[in-house]
Amino acid sequence: MKNTAPVLLGMVVGCYMVVEYFIPHYAVRDVSAHVLQWGGLVAAAAYVMGGINLVQVTWPKIRRREQDWGYKVVLLASAAIMMLVGLPWRALIGVRAPGYAWKLAPSPELARRHEARVLVEAPDDVIVAIGTATARDNVVAPGEVAIKASRRPIGYDAFETKLVLAPGDVAIVAADPQMQWGASGRVRTWIYDYVFAPCNATMFALLAFFVASAAFRAFRARNIEAALLLGSAIIVLLAQAPIGRWLTTSLPHLSDWILDILSNGSRRAIIMGAAVGAIATGLRVILGIERSHLGGD
Amino acid sequence: MHWSDRLQRFDRRWIFLIMALAIVIPLYVPIGLPIKARPMTKAAFNAVEELHAGDVVLVSMDLDPASTAELEPYYRAVMLQLKRKGVKLVFATLWYQAPPLVARWLRETVDVAIAPPGTPGYEGLPDRAYVRNQDYVYLGFREGKQNIILGMGANLPGVFGGKTDDGTPFADIPWLRNIHGLGDFKLMVLVSAGAPGAKEYVQFAQNRYDLRMVAVTTAVSVTDLAPYYQAGQLLGIVAGLAGSAEYEVMVGKPSIGVQGADVLNAGHGVVIIAIVLGNLAYFASRRRKK
Amino acid sequence: MTPALGPVDLLGAWIAIFLTMAILSFLYGDNPFYKLAEHLFIGVSIGYIVVVQIKNNLWVKLERPLSPWDLVPAILIAMMFVKLASRKLAWLGRFPLAVVVALYAGQSVTGLVGSDLGDQIKTASRSLIVDKIDLNSAPPGELSQVPGVSPAIAAKLVIERTARPFTSLDDALSRPSLTASERADLADERGLLVGTEARAATESNRVDWFGVASGVLLLVALLTGLLYFYFSIAHTGVLGRASRVGVWILMVGFGASFGYTVQGRIALAIARAQDIRGTFVSPADAAQIHGEVAAIVSSVIIVAGIWIWERRRAGVAAPGEAS
Repeated sequence: MKNTAPVLLGMVVGCYMVVEYFIPHYAVRDVSAHVLQWGGLVAAAAYVMGGINLVQVTWPKIRRREQDWGYKVVLLASAAIMMLVGLPWRALIGVRAPGYAWKLAPSPELARRHEARVLVEAPDDVIVAIGTATARDNVVAPGEVAIKASRRPIGYDAFETKLVLAPGDVAIVAADPQMQWGASGRVRTWIYDYVFAPCNATMFALLAFFVASAAFRAFRARNIEAALLLGSAIIVLLAQAPIGRWLTTSLPHLSDWILDILSNGSRRAIIMGAAVGAIATGLRVILGIERSHLGGD
Repeated sequence: MHWSDRLQRFDRRWIFLIMALAIVIPLYVPIGLPIKARPMTKAAFNAVEELHAGDVVLVSMDLDPASTAELEPYYRAVMLQLKRKGVKLVFATLWYQAPPLVARWLRETVDVAIAPPGTPGYEGLPDRAYVRNQDYVYLGFREGKQNIILGMGANLPGVFGGKTDDGTPFADIPWLRNIHGLGDFKLMVLVSAGAPGAKEYVQFAQNRYDLRMVAVTTAVSVTDLAPYYQAGQLLGIVAGLAGSAEYEVMVGKPSIGVQGADVLNAGHGVVIIAIVLGNLAYFASRRRKK
Repeated sequence: MTPALGPVDLLGAWIAIFLTMAILSFLYGDNPFYKLAEHLFIGVSIGYIVVVQIKNNLWVKLERPLSPWDLVPAILIAMMFVKLASRKLAWLGRFPLAVVVALYAGQSVTGLVGSDLGDQIKTASRSLIVDKIDLNSAPPGELSQVPGVSPAIAAKLVIERTARPFTSLDDALSRPSLTASERADLADERGLLVGTEARAATESNRVDWFGVASGVLLLVALLTGLLYFYFSIAHTGVLGRASRVGVWILMVGFGASFGYTVQGRIALAIARAQDIRGTFVSPADAAQIHGEVAAIVSSVIIVAGIWIWERRRAGVAAPGEAS
């Protein structure tokens, strides 16, 4: 039961996914829409489970003061902070309106000149656009005026409204957009922009240096195959950069020809072979022959 | 010690330093060699040029901060090209790392004009600021890899609950009402850093729904995707930073991509010299030992 | 006018540069700064992933009207979490795994047949005879495939040939409606093997011989590559020689792959350097951040820190400490 039931369930789901491809009936499509969602929901939950598992694995190491336990504290603390700032705290704090716009008593002088005026009251870091103007005291033409107030960083509310101004109208726009919390909040975005993104990018950037080191220390033309590999690599490397075309206009053409003919030919063989392998493995999973992904007892 | 043995025992940290200098120096002393687009890049450009005002295009932003180096220059160039054509844009992402990046890029390139009239150094048609939920929509992120692609192919509104990321119902946006699945888009622009991305769209949706797609991809994936371009399953591929630079030149607004491609000259030179020197040292050492 | 960067964002920019240099310090060797940045990154990643998955996939689902079908993922997810809580009931975790793996297996069976087998076989089965594109009769879409011919140029060529048919390639590519830059682009693409002379002509049924040879080589590459991966028969005799050719062509392909990979990796490092230099922000912001100065200061701090750490590790007393 513990082994057979999951295999049977897999067989049902797998067979359905194969059969539904051939049945265009709307009822089948509706069922497929639900089934496809299951994969996404389970995957999303798996990521959450991974986070919990990380705490389960890391906390004992901190408790036992194992090697590098201090770094593990940093890991858990940063994870906790990133999770906490992603919660929608404004549900507790409360949401206030990001701005207001109202009209004062009209000015006869402005009416005589067929103009209107919009005054802005906002902190210095709030950008208020009255149409296309951004000053704090704007004389505008009467009519509909679009007003937008926002702060420069992402993660703040935006205030948008439209005012219909008659000649002589004087309006005031007061704006102080509130900081957002949650997934698109100010703090979370700050951590993403200044911690996650640079670290993510730099981790991969290390590879540039390792590639150069590997090219020097390991890439040897020991035999014909290696020589062919290195030869085509050098041609493609030269052709990729502008210097290739500068050296000779034939180099980019040669590189394109290598990609179009030799690389594509061999890659097509790999794609087809991998497809046959994936289809065979898929059929083995669907038919219950392949069970290694389910583990033992 | 013979020079070949000394060279083979070279501390690799010196190589790291040489590579670092090769990357930094050209940023301050540009080489400035001309860039010319290659056929795959031109094909991608032409596919976008064939669009008309009002056509609806899906832009699938499947990337992370690490891949912005190669994909961002193309993204900014193609945004200018799409906006100056006046097409309607639908943005979505399949990568969990992408949402804050997409939010920032939308703010910087779609909510404002990239090349308004009078932009210095730009002679093409100007674009304008797009208005969210009028000219473009952002559907948000969904997890599920090819499940989501298949779901979007059959019933796109269903995948996103019939609402955009900010909660606006699809029914409130007139031009979105006719979009039921991926096959209803005139073109799909795939900004793809890996899996799920261009390859999964080709494998699971292109053949089934007969989709028209162009892709920008990290250079690592180019040889994997080139057979699909040759088979016509992709209309064009923009290959990494070099391809993005070529695309910038074609759109008429050279920028970060062209600057980055300039540095590739030195970087590639270092790797080629490293391969050559390493092999010279190896063969010299081998001959000496014989 | 855009306001200047606030102090919080300025601090953020400097922290980003410090973390960049800390991670790059790994090139010297493993050290506490790198470890700190690495663990900080992992922690932030985990916190980020958990929230984004809950918000964009799980919570969003709960906000919509639920159907009986939604019981299935709810039960599967519950089974997955039971695995965390109880070792005795860990076997329940096999059910969600079985469903997800079977989903992907079923999609692979149908999806890959069409795209990776069908379309690829169709492409490989194209006629080996490659005719040059007849500039006097080809539709605009086909004209665009001639090297250097954009859709705009193709449209012009169609108009020109209607007025007066082309007598030669030189005639076609120098018609008055083409602009000087278009003619320069077309002149750049002239060539006997892969250029305009090879791909285009002003008559029908002219064969592109280099294209034919390339097509034959493409087919040979495919067949010998497939033969190499066929392990059910020993690679001896004719099969052995054919598979050896396949290996050679595979190696050329892997070399091309390596070339593109190197480009990709170097591009990542270039972007970090551009970021530190302030290329991705406005000149006003870059002037405020002083990225290069921040990078140098960070490097000095990290180098000094590593030096002190190495000396302590080696058991050498730092200067000024009482012996």
